[in-house]
Amino acid sequence: MKHWMFNCKKVTHLVSESLDRKLSLDQRMGMRIHLMMCKFCSRYQEQLLFLRKTARLYSESSEEPDLSTQLSSEVGKRIKESMVRFLEKHK
Amino acid sequence: MNKQQSISNNPVENPEKWVDLYGDYLYRYALYRVYEATVAEDLVQETFLAALRSFKNFQYRSSIKTWLTGILKHKIIDHFRKKAKEQQIDDIEPNINKLDDLFTKNGQWKIKPANWNADPQKLYDQKEFIKILHKCLSELPGRQASAFILREIVGEKTKEICKILDISTTNCWVLLHRARMYLRRCLEIKWFTNEDVRESK
Repeated sequence: MKHWMFNCKKVTHLVSESLDRKLSLDQRMGMRIHLMMCKFCSRYQEQLLFLRKTARLYSESSEEPDLSTQLSSEVGKRIKESMVRFLEKHK
Repeated sequence: MNKQQSISNNPVENPEKWVDLYGDYLYRYALYRVYEATVAEDLVQETFLAALRSFKNFQYRSSIKTWLTGILKHKIIDHFRKKAKEQQIDDIEPNINKLDDLFTKNGQWKIKPANWNADPQKLYDQKEFIKILHKCLSELPGRQASAFILREIVGEKTKEICKILDISTTNCWVLLHRARMYLRRCLEIKWFTNEDVRESK
């Protein structure tokens, strides 16, 4: 188990994968030891967590009303017509 | 179309009202996940039609809005599934060279990550930041974008994403890794390093 042998490139892979699955004990240890010693990989990890939080905010904000993102009246009309047509057909 | 006075909540009697009530909401929800306005519009239309089709099964256990959002979510995932079928595997690799430039041959950082020192919530309130985030997301190549959006914005599990994109689990991790690597670099260049310049003035 040569944890100190993990280089930065390898650790960035592990940091990302740790967001998607449970790493093996070996991988976890290797990653942790490297992160303790490497300022830049620690920053990298913080940045990925930042991305995750930001994506969540982004996802949540899509559920708030916003006047700048609306269906155009044209498209609204098209959709309404398609619904009316559908109902006529399936009476 | 001459609508009579008897306006009812039942969409089957008054489908226009549904579009007026939920159209904008659903459109925004879709647009934030698929980016292309025309795709989002089509998904909203499909959602309403699917809702009409299955309205008789609607039990009022949830609000109509929640129910419609559920249908739209399925449509969005279907959209990614179809898109993945059209994309060949070759786009799994496209920005690998750019990313490899970040490291030396020995796998050490060549372009070192900067100290962002940022609070997502505060940043998120800034319109400019959102614009740049959009821009960076839109630059991601096909499957990487799909994988990232499904994972971090739609909130799917990795296993599901592999199925939707029809790729192996390992491939899925690699896609996500590259998407994240690209996005953080993009934000760093387009936002954070600029910010450093601003602060040091």
